[in-house]
Amino acid sequence: MSAGEEVIGVAPVAAPAPRPVRLSPLVATLLTAAGLLALWLAASSFGWVSPVFLPHPAKVLAAVGRLVGAGYVDGTLFEHAAASLGRVFSALAFSILVAVPVGLAIATSPVGRGILDPLVEFIRPLPPLAYLPLIIIWFGIGEGSKVLVIALAMLAPIAISTAAGVRSASESQVNAARSFGAGRLAVLLHVQLPSAIPSILTGIRIALGAGWSTLVAAELVAASRGLGFMIQSAAQFLVTDIVIVGIFVISALAFAFEALLRLVERLFVRWSGHH
Amino acid sequence: MTELRLTNVSLSYAHRQGFGALTTTRVLQRVSLALAPGEFVAVIGRSGSGKTSLLNLAAGFVAPSEGRAVVFQDDALYPWLSARDNVAFPLRLAGVGRDERRARAAELLRQVGLVAETDRAIWELSGGQRQRVGIARALAAKPDFLLLDEPLGALDAMTRERMQELLLAVWQTSGTGVLLITHSVEEALFLGTRVVVLAPDPGRIVADRHFDFSRRYLAGEPARALKAAPEFIAAREALIAAIHADEAMTA
Repeated sequence: MSAGEEVIGVAPVAAPAPRPVRLSPLVATLLTAAGLLALWLAASSFGWVSPVFLPHPAKVLAAVGRLVGAGYVDGTLFEHAAASLGRVFSALAFSILVAVPVGLAIATSPVGRGILDPLVEFIRPLPPLAYLPLIIIWFGIGEGSKVLVIALAMLAPIAISTAAGVRSASESQVNAARSFGAGRLAVLLHVQLPSAIPSILTGIRIALGAGWSTLVAAELVAASRGLGFMIQSAAQFLVTDIVIVGIFVISALAFAFEALLRLVERLFVRWSGHH
Repeated sequence: MTELRLTNVSLSYAHRQGFGALTTTRVLQRVSLALAPGEFVAVIGRSGSGKTSLLNLAAGFVAPSEGRAVVFQDDALYPWLSARDNVAFPLRLAGVGRDERRARAAELLRQVGLVAETDRAIWELSGGQRQRVGIARALAAKPDFLLLDEPLGALDAMTRERMQELLLAVWQTSGTGVLLITHSVEEALFLGTRVVVLAPDPGRIVADRHFDFSRRYLAGEPARALKAAPEFIAAREALIAAIHADEAMTA
């Protein structure tokens, strides 16, 4: 602009800087998955890795078809998955029935805390393979032992998150109930337990993760069905494609239940975080 | 109707720092306070003068008692219940049937000016609305004495003034006795038929006076005019002097 020139009207504004391209999380996830798949495809197509270690994706896909139709080691994919789901959810039901009262006792009674807290902390860090032999010696090789191995891994997260949730009820929330004549049991049922529910749900999510990761160990115990059993049997004969299918199915199931629990949280505990 | 009476009450808390010796702090020293049925007593005092300890004693959190309901500063509502179910909570504990407690809760919410909010979630309500739910819930217990632990402390000035007027209306219709803990001298003076001043170290009563500003408001005098009246201002300054009397001596 030369001197003396008159600017009339709207002053010139610098053109808006081009917006930096922002990756949405979903796009980032999809790109990562596609990238890994491409890497896998390349590795097996160009023979970078032996097919025994990493079979071609097409072969894995074919294995899915074989598993769904003819099955592997005396069971179709659905039968193996159903057996594993049954174990994980029996274990979950058992752990909720045991661990929620344990967590309530830890949070509400000093004696309860004295007795139960060390026990929970004792089993919490134990790897399932460490107590597996004892479970077999004590309880045999039946279905109960498999469920127990998984349940032991689930107890601690649920108990700890229940105790933490109970403590999240504020002193005045408890005192308010007491001023209306609530005894200890009524305070527990009407105030402390409801306020613990979001935390318990989080505990269940963590416990399910622990449960799925214990599945293979549990199915080491004389199983004849189950995804863990299927993976181990396939591993013994280096049938890598079946192993990979098993891993993907476990992962997909765990992901589906995680999504389901998050949905339950969103629908039923909308008040969570609004204390 | 019972009366609320504390006679020669002293209260100490024992505490230990790290592995050090056990020390005790006396928070209340030989305090006597009796509330007649229907009386509105406001308790003021500096921080640490034992106001909340006094209320806790009256509420029975230290030793059990009956016929008292508390409204807390942090509202202490249950966010998993709707406004109506929060108000119905004491009735549920008392074993009142579902339909009756829902109807009574709705009526109490109407009394505190919440009609559209009856079935709203607690976390959707404003601070003032939440305190109204807390007051309605306390009234649901049909207490002989309503104990208010700085229920208006967290509200903005405008909401606070409206809530003061609401408290007086509720006091008038319910006929319950009220023990109000507050930091605000003006609030104590406007609401209380009696104002009790506590001083700290250890907490003790240093003044206990009767006022009639609340009754004059209920008789129709406008709130702002009352609060600007010379006798109100004189009483306010006298109370402030009483609150700080011991401070001047030690300073």
